[in-house]
Amino acid sequence: MRASHRLTFWIKGAQALALAVAVCFSLGASNASSRFNNLSHRLMCTCGCAQLLGECNHVGCTESGRERNELSAAIAAGDSDQQILASFAAKYGATALAAPRTHGFDLVAWIAPFAVFAAALLGTILLVRRWSIGKTPVPAEVHDPAADALREKIRRETDAGNEGEF
Amino acid sequence: MTETQGFIAGVMLAIALGIYTFWPENGFASQREKTRLEYLLERKEQLYENLRDLNFEYRAGKYPEEDFITQRTLLENETAQLLAEIEHLQQA
Amino acid sequence: MAAFGSFALLIALALAAYNLFAGTIALRLIATGQPARISPERLADTARRAGIASFIAVTGAAFALVWSVFNNDFSITYILEHSNRALPAPYKFAALWSGQEGSLLLWAWLLGAYGFVLRLTHKTDVKLYAYAGTILAGVQVFFLAVVNFAAPPFSLLRGAIPEDGNGLNPLLQYPEMVIHPPMLYLGYVGFTIPFAFALGALMMRYPGEKWIKITRGWTMVTWLFLTMGIFLGMHWAYAVLGWGGYWGWDPVENASFMPWLTGTAFLHSVMMQERKGMMKSWNVWLIFSTFMLSILGTLLTRGGLVSSVHAFAQSSIGNWFIAFLVFVLAVCIFTYILQRSHLKSEQHLESLVSRESSFLFNNLVLLAACFVILWGTLFPILSEYVQGSKVTVGPPFYNRVAVPIGLFLLFLTGVGPLLPWRATSLRAIRRNFVIPAIALWATVIVCLAVGVRPWKNGSLDAGDFYALVAFALSAGVFTAILSEFLRGAGVIHKQTRRNLFAAMYLLIRRNTRRYGGYIIHIGVVIVVVGLAGAAFNRSEERELPLHGTLPIGPYTLECVGFTQDSNLNYNSEYALLDVYRDGKKQFQITPEKRVYLASEQPQTMVAIHSVPGWDLYVVYEGTNPDTGQPIIKAFLNPLVSWIWAGVVLMVIGTFIALVPSLAPATATVRVPARQSAPIEPALKGGD
Repeated sequence: MRASHRLTFWIKGAQALALAVAVCFSLGASNASSRFNNLSHRLMCTCGCAQLLGECNHVGCTESGRERNELSAAIAAGDSDQQILASFAAKYGATALAAPRTHGFDLVAWIAPFAVFAAALLGTILLVRRWSIGKTPVPAEVHDPAADALREKIRRETDAGNEGEF
Repeated sequence: MTETQGFIAGVMLAIALGIYTFWPENGFASQREKTRLEYLLERKEQLYENLRDLNFEYRAGKYPEEDFITQRTLLENETAQLLAEIEHLQQA
Repeated sequence: MAAFGSFALLIALALAAYNLFAGTIALRLIATGQPARISPERLADTARRAGIASFIAVTGAAFALVWSVFNNDFSITYILEHSNRALPAPYKFAALWSGQEGSLLLWAWLLGAYGFVLRLTHKTDVKLYAYAGTILAGVQVFFLAVVNFAAPPFSLLRGAIPEDGNGLNPLLQYPEMVIHPPMLYLGYVGFTIPFAFALGALMMRYPGEKWIKITRGWTMVTWLFLTMGIFLGMHWAYAVLGWGGYWGWDPVENASFMPWLTGTAFLHSVMMQERKGMMKSWNVWLIFSTFMLSILGTLLTRGGLVSSVHAFAQSSIGNWFIAFLVFVLAVCIFTYILQRSHLKSEQHLESLVSRESSFLFNNLVLLAACFVILWGTLFPILSEYVQGSKVTVGPPFYNRVAVPIGLFLLFLTGVGPLLPWRATSLRAIRRNFVIPAIALWATVIVCLAVGVRPWKNGSLDAGDFYALVAFALSAGVFTAILSEFLRGAGVIHKQTRRNLFAAMYLLIRRNTRRYGGYIIHIGVVIVVVGLAGAAFNRSEERELPLHGTLPIGPYTLECVGFTQDSNLNYNSEYALLDVYRDGKKQFQITPEKRVYLASEQPQTMVAIHSVPGWDLYVVYEGTNPDTGQPIIKAFLNPLVSWIWAGVVLMVIGTFIALVPSLAPATATVRVPARQSAPIEPALKGGD
């Protein structure tokens, strides 16, 4: 009974985890009204300020206003997200995209963190398992006068029991 | 401050710090090796801490009875060995 | 003063070098027991005093630079480039670290200051301190060599001396800039101390784990400085950069965050070594990595390797840092291989359900987060190397990859305290999870009820979803920690009949480290709530003529005027905006735009009105050149003030953890008559 409970617990946990992972990969808004906001946060301002296009506001920026207009125009023209991002990348270079793409060598950027995390997690679990297997069995209390006296002393000095004044 | 003055101030600083560094002082703290007994006493203190903590966590409801007894026995056995060695060293 | 400064730096370098070499020889003599003409103890003591003297010399140099700034000595290039006559006094101080040469001098001075305290308190453990002091001197020699030869702060201008300087970067003319860099540097530099102790303890094969107790205070103070430095930086970015956010995953922010992550991992896992002699190799490498990451951070910031908003002060000293980093790594590996037999663990983990294993996972997650950030920061360089073109690894990358890891870490923050040390079964402590789980799900329901919508138009909304998870986890973790306090206080209440508050006070006093740590965790939870609020940020931007209005959230902003002002340092123009809520005028705010005279650089001054629920954040963006109308951008940023409140709690928690716990021997215990020996007390939790 207890084993089946535990199994259910782990299955539920695994489901939750799978959902969480799926969620991480499936994120992305498609609401038309929020497309500008979304896309401008996936592009960088190319003036060298190292800020997102949607957030670049430093006084006297020569690029961000024009690029934002371009973005609005492209959205109004009905281009898809991918088309818009690709056209920005083609025009301003790959650094105009705020995150690496998900194909080619850039994919490595996305995979490596998860791969390393998974490997480390696996390593840790294996390590813990190995340690747990090598665990020494619990020795029984030894009862001879000397050992009893020592134990008595240890308990006295570390545990006031319920009578202790704090 | 002119360059010459700065230079003179620098030389004075160098002399003062040199004297401080190499002043023949005999009151320096010497390096004493830690004895085995001191080491054991440190360990005892830590094991006592662990035992107190075990008791505390038991009372706070984090161990069932049997786990508590197991852990306490393990720790007490280890501490007992240590205390025996300490006594042995103190008598020697 | 320039001559004095340069000379003082040379003296400091010579003394640090003497400290390094004499210290090494003395420790070698002591270790091998070889007979020598001079007593090795005496030699070691002169080395120690040379370290102290070196600090005094660096102080002299730092003083010379400050003096020159205040006396507008523009014959020194550094001062010409980073100050001007009209600069207010506090910012003249800030000029000390606004450029590369000055910040390296600050670094050397802070290292000297830490070393000074260490060398004065050497009697705690003479031999260990001698090792640590010598290693510290090695690091100091590097930094002093850099300020002497690669980036001298006192280099003189060739040709005619201008009447006034170029001024301080306007971005840095903000009160926090006077304390943020020194705090951050205190953190960076401070990790040299636990590094030196750990390396020293390994070199001398220090018996036992007491060195950890000795360095605990140092590590926590360092961690505190780094934490405060990072958050002050966030606040500065929020209040000055004017884009409505506080963290942009900029390489320089990342550089400060990485050692924080490994340092935090170290603070946790070192407890396992202290208590049970476990994880020794791991801990040694954690602190080695932390130190190397702070050097790497400086390399990234100063070396110009990656592009950043902190583009002030880039130069060619990168090579020096790479060489030093390689050297440090070599020393670490060499020492480790030589002495690894000393690091054999005495015990292993006993159960998956234990505090130890939660620390193990906490370390795993912290290091994974550190890897993600390091990876993201260095990937552009890798990409350029592999495919010949740079890419940007910006916020969208980190938000997707680091945020889930962060939430997992938050989860562990709640689980860890509920688990006991050593071993137990999940069954035994299952009931301890009930209330936190209820709190968690209740929060989910409440959030959904008040309109947090993780699903929008059939697809998942990342921001809202993460925010929901963050709120729910925060509630669970907070309840878990609170219940931990209550359980502990309950035990004391049962034993002493004190009321719950007195019991809780005593509980904290009894184990400041553990409960101070829990208070830090509560602070983290509050910070996370504040961060999650960013998912609901709103902004509006429009031209605002006189008496024009701009509605945002519950507020309506009405422009009631524009005005201009000027002083010796800058000209400014600002808008006067009346803020209405429910038709009633609440207050007036004045976002501002400045043009600094010396540098001719413009800068916005954000107006922020902060209440617990949100910040109203208003930026005056200047005038539209076509219409001449001013442009106002307003943000409504929910829960931002929670971040700063959480940090304050983290600081308080750290201070509590730094206070020594009440000694266990204060209680008198009623004992059976036949036992008359004085008795150590009863309850005292470990960590």
